[in-house]
Amino acid sequence: MKNIIKISWRNLLRYTRRTLLTSSLIAVGVALVIIFGGIGASFKDEVIGTITNSNLGDIQIHKKGYVGSMDNLPLDIAIPEQGLNKIKSLLDANPEVKAYSERIRFGAMISNFAQTTSMRVTAVYPEKESITCPALTERIKEGNSDPKTFVQPGSIVIPANIAAGMNLKIGDDAVLVATNKDGSVNGVTFKISGISENILGPQGKDGYIHIDDAVSLLRIENGEITEIAVKLNDFDKLKKVYSRLKGELAQIPGKDSGKPAFEVHSWEELSPFSSIVKIVTLLILVVRLVLVSIVLISILNVMMMSVYERIGEIGTIASIGTPPSKILALFLTEGLLLGFFSALAGIIFGTGLLMIVAAAKLNFVFGMMKLSLSPQIPTAEIILSLIIVVVISALASLQPALKASKMEPVEALRHV
Amino acid sequence: MSLLSLADVRKDYLAGDVTVQALKGINLTVEKGKFISFVGPSGSGKTTLLNLVGCLDKPTEGTVTVAGVEVNRMDRKTSAKFRGDNIGFIFQNFNLIPVLTVYENVEYPLIMVQDIALKARKQKIDDMLDRVGMADQRNKYPSQLSGGQKQRVAIARALVMDPKLVLADEPTANLDHDTAYKVIGLMHQMKKEFNTSFIFATHDQKIVGEAEIIYTMEDGLITKVQANGTAGGGIK
Ligand SMILES: Nc1ncnc2c1ncn2[C@@H]1O[C@H](COP(=O)(O)OP(=O)(O)OP(=O)(O)O)[C@@H](O)[C@H]1O
Ligand SMILES: [Mg+2]
Repeated sequence: MKNIIKISWRNLLRYTRRTLLTSSLIAVGVALVIIFGGIGASFKDEVIGTITNSNLGDIQIHKKGYVGSMDNLPLDIAIPEQGLNKIKSLLDANPEVKAYSERIRFGAMISNFAQTTSMRVTAVYPEKESITCPALTERIKEGNSDPKTFVQPGSIVIPANIAAGMNLKIGDDAVLVATNKDGSVNGVTFKISGISENILGPQGKDGYIHIDDAVSLLRIENGEITEIAVKLNDFDKLKKVYSRLKGELAQIPGKDSGKPAFEVHSWEELSPFSSIVKIVTLLILVVRLVLVSIVLISILNVMMMSVYERIGEIGTIASIGTPPSKILALFLTEGLLLGFFSALAGIIFGTGLLMIVAAAKLNFVFGMMKLSLSPQIPTAEIILSLIIVVVISALASLQPALKASKMEPVEALRHV
Repeated sequence: MSLLSLADVRKDYLAGDVTVQALKGINLTVEKGKFISFVGPSGSGKTTLLNLVGCLDKPTEGTVTVAGVEVNRMDRKTSAKFRGDNIGFIFQNFNLIPVLTVYENVEYPLIMVQDIALKARKQKIDDMLDRVGMADQRNKYPSQLSGGQKQRVAIARALVMDPKLVLADEPTANLDHDTAYKVIGLMHQMKKEFNTSFIFATHDQKIVGEAEIIYTMEDGLITKVQANGTAGGGIK
């Protein structure tokens, strides 16, 4: 085996220019996959992190039918206290759940006594919300952004666009007017304690109050809430936890229908940005496919030329008794070595470039998300591309190598 | 038991629509340790015959027996092994492996064909390079050698496998006169040292004189057999 590698290696070096050309083509392909994979993964992580950590949570639980009419923030599709307790005990028992936050979400009018505009309000327990969405309070740019107390009874966090539009400042009073689920209207005065960046794009007028205020504003008497956001210990286990929760919640039937009373959604089902993440995943896949075809075509080409140029040599070694299997091995090894070392060069090159990108800390704004790309060395991507290149190199060398091993020595010798 | 016997061997080639009868019925027996030459005009069938004897090709009719084994019906793998175990080849164009040094070229069959362990291998190669007078060139590549030197290496490569029979088709055709004599002389000496049979085909009437038995071929048939009294005596 050592000798087969030695001979194959020397044969590769024999056609220096051709080997270098092919090698650099493959190396560039591998580098592209690594750079693209690294940046893509970091972009995905950033987008997902921004979405789940500032607003959505990883998983949300609602009363059945809520998400279908989520745009209206319905108050009548709510989780009753009894159901809430059941869900809480499920979540408390689940070791993968890091935290969860009960919310009451509703549409309201906010007035500065001169003007009135609409907004969406999320009522929360500040401590629980800050653990479930740890990036939320980072978005509160003015006023109290302490994760434990960012909303207190009587205080409200409003988004920057409403603050600007209605000329509201920290410490100002504003009135929230909302209609409860029975249709009666109520208003409560709040002090503005924080002004946040707009959370979900320019139109997002999302404000936060304490859940106790929502209870009195909406005259909720029976402990209902509308939403539970869940944060996991390990985001990578999302699918597993999600399906487990779904199964468990399906066991809790509704009062009348007997059908499941609650519904579970992962962040992907709730955020329009999940499709962007899917597109990035798809693009990475396309780049990998391009790598596959580069390797396939270039190795096949080089190995076919190698076999053709060395017919006489193949005739010689076959005549003196080299078994066909070793002739096959010689050419396979040659293709494999070419692929392997090209991939290695590409990995070094690609990782180097990626480290430069990481050091440069690319910052940019995507929609209303401020993203800071700091790509990690994508170990999985590196191993995957090495495997791709080696496997495809073997496949591409197989046909030329088989051809070499099947040559009739007399004919091959005459070819000289 | 004779080393080699051919019984009514015929070989037809199909060239387009015409069938070329390259060998038209060869009967031949060769004993161990002989130095044999085939002569004859171009196209008389020398190469065809050597290819059959060397298990590189199969006869259209008749049987070829080498070292007691009928080799007509062997498959590729078996015949490769058989060649590796029994037959050495020396080529007109030397056919050394260009990416290997002199030493490695001689080593090649011991690794890739016979799988000899390192220590025994090294001894054999050193000995063989000494005998062909190439020990001091062992680290050169074929491109750095003269034709005669290349053929010496090729002889070493053929003999290092301890073959029963060495076949050489026009081994001196690419060498000048003096070198040709030296190479044939070396082959002759090796034949004596190893008691291996050598069969070579040539056009060259002058070097034919070195053979013990000379077969003259014409148009696919052996037309004359000569035992040469001066064999081995006339090396210049
Ligand atoms: N592969 C082949 N296909 C068709 N005809 C062939 C083939 N090989 C040899 N022949 C023919 O067979 C005959 C014998 O050829 P061979 O090569 O054995 O002659 P040779 O004695 O070795 O000649 P030379 O001295 O020129 O090498 C010739 O007529 C040649 O044209
Ligand atoms: Mg010939």
